[in-house]
Amino acid sequence: MATAVRQLLDDPHGAAPGILDETAKREIRRTTLTAVCVPGYQVPFGSREMPVARGWGSGGLQVTLGLIGPDDVLKVIDQGDDGGVNATNLRRIVSSTVGCEADTDTRESTIIQTRHRMPEEALDERQVVVFQVPTAEPLRGVQRSSAECDRMHAEADYSAMWVSLYEDIVRNGIITTSTGYPVLVNDRYVMATSPVPRWDIPRLHQADHLNLYGAGRERRIYAVPPHTTVTPLTFDDVPFEVEYVAGARCAYCGSDDAYLVEAPGGRFICSDSDWCARTAADDSDTARHRALAPLAWLPDPSRPSVKSKPASLLTGAGSSGPAQLPVRAAPAPFDGGDWMLKVDRVGKIFGAGDERAVAGTGPTFGTAVSPLTGAIVAAWDVSFDVAPGEALGLIGESGSGKSTVLNCLIGDERASTGMVRLASVDAGQTDLFTLSAAERRRLRIDTVSIVYQDPAAGLDLRVSAGGNIAERLTAAGWRSYHDIRRRAAELLDRVEVPLSRMDDPVSTFSGGMRQRVQIAKALATGAPVLLLDEPTTGLDASIAAGVLDLLRGLLRERDVAAVVVSHDFAVIEALTDRCAVMQTGRIVESGLTDQLFHDPHHPYTQRLVAAARR
Amino acid sequence: MTPVLEVRDLCKTFTLHTIDGRTVVSLRGISLDVAAGEHVAIAGPNGAGKSSLLRCVHRTYLPDSGSVALHLPQGPVELTSLADRAMARLRGREICYVSQFLETPPRAGALEVVADAARRRGLAVDEAGDAAAESLRRLGLDEALWDVDCGVLSGGERQRINLAAGTVRPPRLLLLDEPVSALDPANRELALSLVSSLTSQGVAVLAVFHDLDAIRQLATRVIRLEDGRLVASGTAEEILDELEAVS
Repeated sequence: MATAVRQLLDDPHGAAPGILDETAKREIRRTTLTAVCVPGYQVPFGSREMPVARGWGSGGLQVTLGLIGPDDVLKVIDQGDDGGVNATNLRRIVSSTVGCEADTDTRESTIIQTRHRMPEEALDERQVVVFQVPTAEPLRGVQRSSAECDRMHAEADYSAMWVSLYEDIVRNGIITTSTGYPVLVNDRYVMATSPVPRWDIPRLHQADHLNLYGAGRERRIYAVPPHTTVTPLTFDDVPFEVEYVAGARCAYCGSDDAYLVEAPGGRFICSDSDWCARTAADDSDTARHRALAPLAWLPDPSRPSVKSKPASLLTGAGSSGPAQLPVRAAPAPFDGGDWMLKVDRVGKIFGAGDERAVAGTGPTFGTAVSPLTGAIVAAWDVSFDVAPGEALGLIGESGSGKSTVLNCLIGDERASTGMVRLASVDAGQTDLFTLSAAERRRLRIDTVSIVYQDPAAGLDLRVSAGGNIAERLTAAGWRSYHDIRRRAAELLDRVEVPLSRMDDPVSTFSGGMRQRVQIAKALATGAPVLLLDEPTTGLDASIAAGVLDLLRGLLRERDVAAVVVSHDFAVIEALTDRCAVMQTGRIVESGLTDQLFHDPHHPYTQRLVAAARR
Repeated sequence: MTPVLEVRDLCKTFTLHTIDGRTVVSLRGISLDVAAGEHVAIAGPNGAGKSSLLRCVHRTYLPDSGSVALHLPQGPVELTSLADRAMARLRGREICYVSQFLETPPRAGALEVVADAARRRGLAVDEAGDAAAESLRRLGLDEALWDVDCGVLSGGERQRINLAAGTVRPPRLLLLDEPVSALDPANRELALSLVSSLTSQGVAVLAVFHDLDAIRQLATRVIRLEDGRLVASGTAEEILDELEAVS
């Protein structure tokens, strides 16, 4: 590598030597500027090959090289240490290329490139800290798909992050994330902190200096500009705490308010070698440093553990959360046109052709496949509405279009035509199909809930039962750990999941229990519309009966507008007052459930009823 | 006096698509009124359309033509064309239907079934429980059976649960389809006196009994159906004497 660097520095054409050409520097500066304008947002850039391996500070090096000029004074630290091999090499590369000064004294430096530490010394507006970032994406641990991470940032949908914090507290009683603690920047973006120890996090908040983050492998640059709000993510009732060992003191300089690392022999030493040396030599402003140290975030040994046994959660007088579990209000006037969900002429065509594909399909022709275009008319001209406190059934054989209609309602599928409205959205004036995907997703948090046939579709099986419910609650803005715990316990108790299992991963649950957890999650935020897609079909008979009884009780005690999709007349009969029969994508008959069962008019319904009698 | 229930020219034909579209005519133009505090008993042989008439009023069967008007304080409501949702809400609230055989949700206990019916009538949760208990006690159902799955109870017990659910609060219109067919004499007496007291409280009752004694005891008026037609209407004595004379 040394030869390569020498070749780079030995410019044969006599121009100024350098690692990055002017175009590259300009791009980095432009990216950096964008990053400063949108604090915490990861701005992509064309990361160059550097004369250091990726993972050895190539991102930080590019940012430094993009910004630095001959008048700057560079300091490079690795975990606080100026003397590390990597720090020394980087310092040498940059200063020899740019011709700037290099120093280890934090006070003298204008650009400080660092790996995993913030210098102890107070920084001011002249100074820029450049962090080398191994993983720029704070959501990487909870979401593997980059596209999904981007979407979550775009919609500020950080509930998965909150769930990971929740799970951490449940398992360990504290948030154990030590380095790279997630922070919320400028009340907007969740950002990875490079990873510095928690000790350094409070220093980012309303800092006087500029923080820049360069990730070479992930090709991202982001920033925390001076005077920006930086909040560590934590629940309102679980304090953020920094690392601290009571009574620990640096073996060299005696500091007890600097970030200490454990050395062999049970001793502690300062991680910041420059600070340590100057303090030992009595050349540091210790009073100013103490004011800056995160002493307000030291763990409080007298604070009771937040770890709570699930069984103890129900002893209180009900949930003190933002909202009580909704129960049924007074009965609605019988003649009201008081719909909650209204579906008008919804159609869904898979494949070529628009409305022309519809001719020649439907019950009359006994097929959903268009003879003209070969497209599948999965649903056509489907209309119904549902009122609060009412359950509507959609029944029909496999392939009749029931689930397609439901998927169009929930937004998993884009309908070809028609209109869906919710009374609680814009007073029923807005067609949900005109909303953006983000707006539709937001509706799923607290307005429209769905219970899928497969619990894996509605739950994260790796997460605990409580954590799955916490996901929905944090998405709806709940920030109190204890309120979340209590609500989750109430819900699980209601769906008859033993509270002793509350903190177990759902993957360890049986099918029926998983389905109960999924139901609890769907009810968590008291959404006024509940969609049930074959809620008992995947379960064996006795388990299915239990879940069915549970759903019957829940629908009876709540004012939700429910749509129940099933091919099983017993499920429809147990849960609904009204139902619609679907065949080859059309509603062929609708009416009161007992009327359809006792007096079916359409030939298909008669066959269905005859088949249901066993 | 305005009747509570007004049925006009009610017709019902079943088309059986599963058997080559064969049609079975059940009601051929029935007209009748039931006033508040009146107990109209429907008599007639098997297959005359007695139960069909009750079910058409309850909309368990959808009539082909004719009208069924229910008079509420806010005005008459045409049940045959009423929106499904409104009909669902009227049921159990204004109209109660007690069928011969209990049709309860599976795995539900007696108290739950009756309390549920009380909730539909607009009672609060705790009130509903009390009302249900009182209703079951009145019909003499052993308290040990209150939380047992209705499906495993005897016919007579189930019939009493059914009646308790239908009468937990006096409805405007009570439709009874053989509500005492499986009861022993003592329980039958309890049930009949309950129906009689409801009638005197102003409930309009339309009932089918096979048991002529019950009709004599309860009915203020009797109609006789034959082959889907109303062939006679009068006091219990008139119709029943005629009926017995025929047989």
